[in-house]
Amino acid sequence: MKNGVLDRLKRWRPKTTFLLVLVAVISLEATALVQYFFSNDGIRKEAFLRAEGQLDATTAKIMDIVNQVEAAVRNTEWIASWAVENPDSLGAVSLRLVKDNPVIVGSTIAMVPGYYKKKALFSPYYFQEPKTKQVIFKSLATPEYDYPQQEWFKKPIELSSGYWSEPYIDEGGGEILMTTYSVPITDRSGKIAAVLTADVSLDWLTEIIEGVQVYQNSFGLLISRGGQIMVAPSETLIMKKSIMEAAESKANDEDREQFLRLNKALLSGESGTMQIVENGVKNDVYFSSMDKTGWSISVVIPDKEVYKGLRRVSWLVKLMQVLGLSMIILIIRLATKNLHRIQAINKNKERMENELHIGHEIQMSMIPKVFPPFPEREDLDLYASIVPAKEVSGDLYDFYIRDEKLFFCVGDVSGKGVPASLVMSVTRSLFRSISAHETLPDAIVSQMNNSLADMNETNMFVTFFCGVLDMPSGVLNYCNAGHNAPVFLNGKMDVLPVLPNLPLGIIKDMAYKGQEVEFKYDDSLFIYTDGLTEAENLNHEQFGEERMKAMLHPRRSAQEHLQIMQKAVEDFVGGAARSDDLTMLFIHYKNIRPHEQNWKITIHNNLKEMGLLTNFIKDIAKEKKIEESVASNINLAVEEAVSNIINYAYDKDYVGRIDIEAFKHDDSLEFVLKDSGKPFDPTARAEVDTTLKAEERKIGGLGIHLYKSIMDSVSYTRKDNMNILSLIKKI
Amino acid sequence: MEVEILKQENSVTAKLIGRLDTIASPEVAKALEPLKEVADKKIILDCSQMEYISSSGLRIFLSLRKEATIKRGTIVVKDINEDIRKVFMITGFLNLFEIA
Repeated sequence: MKNGVLDRLKRWRPKTTFLLVLVAVISLEATALVQYFFSNDGIRKEAFLRAEGQLDATTAKIMDIVNQVEAAVRNTEWIASWAVENPDSLGAVSLRLVKDNPVIVGSTIAMVPGYYKKKALFSPYYFQEPKTKQVIFKSLATPEYDYPQQEWFKKPIELSSGYWSEPYIDEGGGEILMTTYSVPITDRSGKIAAVLTADVSLDWLTEIIEGVQVYQNSFGLLISRGGQIMVAPSETLIMKKSIMEAAESKANDEDREQFLRLNKALLSGESGTMQIVENGVKNDVYFSSMDKTGWSISVVIPDKEVYKGLRRVSWLVKLMQVLGLSMIILIIRLATKNLHRIQAINKNKERMENELHIGHEIQMSMIPKVFPPFPEREDLDLYASIVPAKEVSGDLYDFYIRDEKLFFCVGDVSGKGVPASLVMSVTRSLFRSISAHETLPDAIVSQMNNSLADMNETNMFVTFFCGVLDMPSGVLNYCNAGHNAPVFLNGKMDVLPVLPNLPLGIIKDMAYKGQEVEFKYDDSLFIYTDGLTEAENLNHEQFGEERMKAMLHPRRSAQEHLQIMQKAVEDFVGGAARSDDLTMLFIHYKNIRPHEQNWKITIHNNLKEMGLLTNFIKDIAKEKKIEESVASNINLAVEEAVSNIINYAYDKDYVGRIDIEAFKHDDSLEFVLKDSGKPFDPTARAEVDTTLKAEERKIGGLGIHLYKSIMDSVSYTRKDNMNILSLIKKI
Repeated sequence: MEVEILKQENSVTAKLIGRLDTIASPEVAKALEPLKEVADKKIILDCSQMEYISSSGLRIFLSLRKEATIKRGTIVVKDINEDIRKVFMITGFLNLFEIA
């Protein structure tokens, strides 16, 4: 969460994105490559096997025919060797060979020139007309043809064995592509007398070779011993081109070179495989040679055919790679966007935390937190503490002394954190401003409630205990607005009785009812928020009132009480996180004020009786040897207070009484005025502005201002339907 | 409480003798009422023998002062004792009157 980590993340991110993508690319590519090469290898092997199988099968088929032809010829050889003795029977032998063997389309027995004395050349030839399939006779012993010069005649004699001719197109006969198997025929004397031939049409070869279709667009080739192309997918190739010619037609040296190499391999009767590049197209050529005929059979497979499947797969793989990478980049971008957002949120949070911290400081600066708060007072021991559960608190306490009255409050705003603390601040301000001119807690609370309810759109509320303790008399007026009842330590340990008033801020114009209790010497009041009694330990047990009360002890000071209480809660809660603010206020009333003497006088609401008061004060001053000017001041103050009562407390026609008591304390003289007239709190009156010009000044208000200025303490309380005003002058 | 009023050429002097307290105020107010007629002139309130003043007495002073302000006269408060000066100070009356 802290800055450093974020910054590192920020710097790290572009590099990380790049690295992630790079690693993904490399691993995907590597996988694809491995897969490609192994597949490639497998496919190549498979293609080789398939081609080889085809070649073997095709060779077997061709050899079958070749063997048939050779067998038929061999079986005719001995007849022919007999027949040479009788020239007229030669034709019958050839005719028989053609008729009995469907693959043999023509046959002759060509006599060695001069064997017959009468006939220099003799070669009766029977052949099957390709269309009609009729066997036709034809003599090859023509000077134009000059059969002794033909290869089919010369080679067997030369080799003294059977010979398969190079393929040729038979122009004299059927005009078809054929090859001839010829064997020398010896007579009974063992001399070569003739050559027996069997013409074989190559049509069936074409069929067989065309059947060599390992892949689509692959084709078979049959190449003769001399390098001539016998069977090829295109008719025009046949007989017109040898591999040699094909090689020579190549302009490119490299192309030519490979064709020549292939030619050489084929001519030497090798079997194997070779790669030929033609017009930039790679072809694999598988070839094997055949016995006897010396033909080579080849299968030419365009590379792209072999690898068509693989190529499709690798395209698919590439497509998936691109898709996958796009996804990765997308995810990373999304993640980084999130990171940005988280960063922004964190920055915001940090700022808020900072502001909360400031808020907390402001809040803490608002509540009095210098203890002891009234070091000069011997009649009061007060201590308060607030421990927020979160940075800022929704709890509050406040206290101050005005006109010998201790105004204090403890509140708990519903909710926690910032919203609660804002309401807390408002509540505290309201308490201060309203209590500046109101003395009765119920009036203070009612007005606070109206203000809070007015602006309460968030439905937050405040449980609130407000008290005003009249220090001289010990009378506590209080008003409880839904707060938990404080503990009143008056010898016993009673819970202070509280009326069921609603918390503040819920309903406007609620009439909050106040209550009253009298403090005796050494009585105490402990006010707290529910963060104390409802503090939970790990077992979800609450601290509770019993544990709280056990911590209260009459002999302890206010500060000791709160410190012990705080520690007890912390020990109880243990490792559990405190969930609520904890606020405590302890008031220990220690007013003894034993007076040496007291005087008493009662007058009525008649100005004429004022003289009695003047004499009453004069007598006390004389008795206590009070300086004349001080006595005069005291007289002025009391006179002003009493004349106000005379003038305003009662209706004109009503005869009301005013009890005036004077007490001599150690260092002061106190006058307590009691009347049962209309409630009137002079201490709550606005101050007179003594700086105004004559024409702006009001005639009234001077009296109150005078006695408040003259006396050291003026305090008012209303008790038992009486106004009680206490005026104290230090002497 | 006694009030002696002495008319001079350009001023009127009212001498206040005794305690100007709540009881005395109504009668002093009545005695000083005619001074409002001559509030355009100089009114001297001789306090050399006034022992005491309460807020009701101050009110009489203030109402005279207001009248004089309207009629553009002046009011001089003469010879107040220390206690009264203190009261005048507390109430801001020192600034309202010419103190002699």
